[in-house]
Amino acid sequence: MTGEHAATLDPAVVPNPTVEVNAASKWFGQKVAVSGVTCSFGPGVTGLLGPNGAGKTTMLRMMVGLVLPSEGTVSVLGKAPRQNPQTYRNLAMVPEESSVYGHMSARRLVRYAAELSGVGDPGAAADAAIAAVELEDAADRAVSGFSKGMRQRAKVASALVSDPQILVLDEPLNGTDPMQRLRLIGIFRRLGQEGRTVIVSSHVLQEVERMTDRVIAMVDGKLAAAGDIAAIRSAMADIPYRVLVESDEPRRLAAALLASDAITGIELAESGFHVETSDLRLLGTTVPAVAKELGIRLRAFRPEDDSLESVFRYLVHRR
Amino acid sequence: MTAPARIARTTVSQVLGTRRLIGLALLALLPAVIVFLSTSRASPASRLETFAGVTVGFFFSVVVPIVALILSASALGDERRDQTLSFIVLRPIPRIVLAAAKIGGGMAASWLVVALGAIGLGAAMGLRHGDWGHVVPLLAGGLIATTVYAAIFAPLGYLTERATLAGLAFAFIWEGAVVGAIGALASLSPWRIGFSAFAALTPDEVLPYVPDLALGNVMPGAGGAAAKAVVVLAIGVWATGWILRSRDLI
Repeated sequence: MTGEHAATLDPAVVPNPTVEVNAASKWFGQKVAVSGVTCSFGPGVTGLLGPNGAGKTTMLRMMVGLVLPSEGTVSVLGKAPRQNPQTYRNLAMVPEESSVYGHMSARRLVRYAAELSGVGDPGAAADAAIAAVELEDAADRAVSGFSKGMRQRAKVASALVSDPQILVLDEPLNGTDPMQRLRLIGIFRRLGQEGRTVIVSSHVLQEVERMTDRVIAMVDGKLAAAGDIAAIRSAMADIPYRVLVESDEPRRLAAALLASDAITGIELAESGFHVETSDLRLLGTTVPAVAKELGIRLRAFRPEDDSLESVFRYLVHRR
Repeated sequence: MTAPARIARTTVSQVLGTRRLIGLALLALLPAVIVFLSTSRASPASRLETFAGVTVGFFFSVVVPIVALILSASALGDERRDQTLSFIVLRPIPRIVLAAAKIGGGMAASWLVVALGAIGLGAAMGLRHGDWGHVVPLLAGGLIATTVYAAIFAPLGYLTERATLAGLAFAFIWEGAVVGAIGALASLSPWRIGFSAFAALTPDEVLPYVPDLALGNVMPGAGGAAAKAVVVLAIGVWATGWILRSRDLI
């Protein structure tokens, strides 16, 4: 089987990659952060999804050369960035941690980034990058006084200022308000459409869904799923949802619901009961209907499994 | 301005925060204040004795190590503490150049403060004794010693969060107690390397008052001291570049 043919079969790899991760592992003492991950990234936006502690940040740090793989290799445009600093002309990262000089103004910070990256006209490039993230009004204020969302935008501007071909963003939407989030998502989408490689990590599926169709999912340092987001969603449909129902007469309501096809399990709790279902929509219509029929007042109907963690764990165990 | 020069300049303003600058400047000027106040009615011999004692026992052995230790260790240490290291390392700049820029920045910041102390001390002697010939030797010796300390403490500041503690142990236990007792080890003491340049350049009338422990087996000589500083600096830059290339930068 040719490499190209294999690439078309494995959703974790792309045909013309700009970033390649090959059997990469990273451990810190006894703790394994990333374990034998093989995947690649090409032009367009790719979401790196996973719950907190999944190894996403370590993975991104390996890609940009902040962290060396304990095993395996990572290359950007065919080279290991750390051994080839010129790679950073085409590669930029927005780290999750602070990574800004608080004593500088946003304009000074972005200009400093431009100067270090060897940008021709650093002043003009800084102004353009600041405009791109709509930070003009606060551009001359010290970054130390910024909200988290404003800092995030200053960091994104610092990354954009060198006009990189590959942009790696670690939880870039953390701390941003809905309007800022919308704006940043628009920027990332545009960069992807321009043919740049944009890798965005997040633990929020909905955020990633708005940027891209292609996802790499990690759990416990391993590759859990990769490829089209719809395929991953359908895998998630197999997982039973868990919902907390609270009412005036929980025992009577629970007994009546046992007969329903929508329910796969019931467990009584202090103030109500937990219901497991594979069809959340059907449950959503069944429970109020049965409660109304019995004359029982429904106080709460709350999905308990909004966190993606259980979904990701399911994906890992399924492999 | 080139990227390394920008990094060095930013490092100077980064490590010289207002409070730190005021504190270290006051420390650097203390030897000058002591000499100026304690020699107002002293005989010429007594003035020289006080000047030599303060120069060895306070300026070179306390002020220079503390200033250089704090500011040089901060050059990379502050980047790690503030999580800003990725901002400078993810740039198209070879790591050895980055290392040179960071050490250079820490060194320049230390020089500024040490130079202030050296000029103050030389001026105190000039005003009291009428001889301004100590200013340049103090500057030269102070800058050579600072260079050696910066080359050692800058990588140390990256390697450990306890760089200040390790540096103080080095300055006071190793240089103060051990080298003070065993003169043969004097060439392993950065401030003594700087002091040997001072001793070679300062007017001869000071030397009879210099305590023996100041030089150990190191001979006064500005050229030799400068050469040692250059060698240590080259090793420090190379070692820091190697650290930035071979270790995880988080």
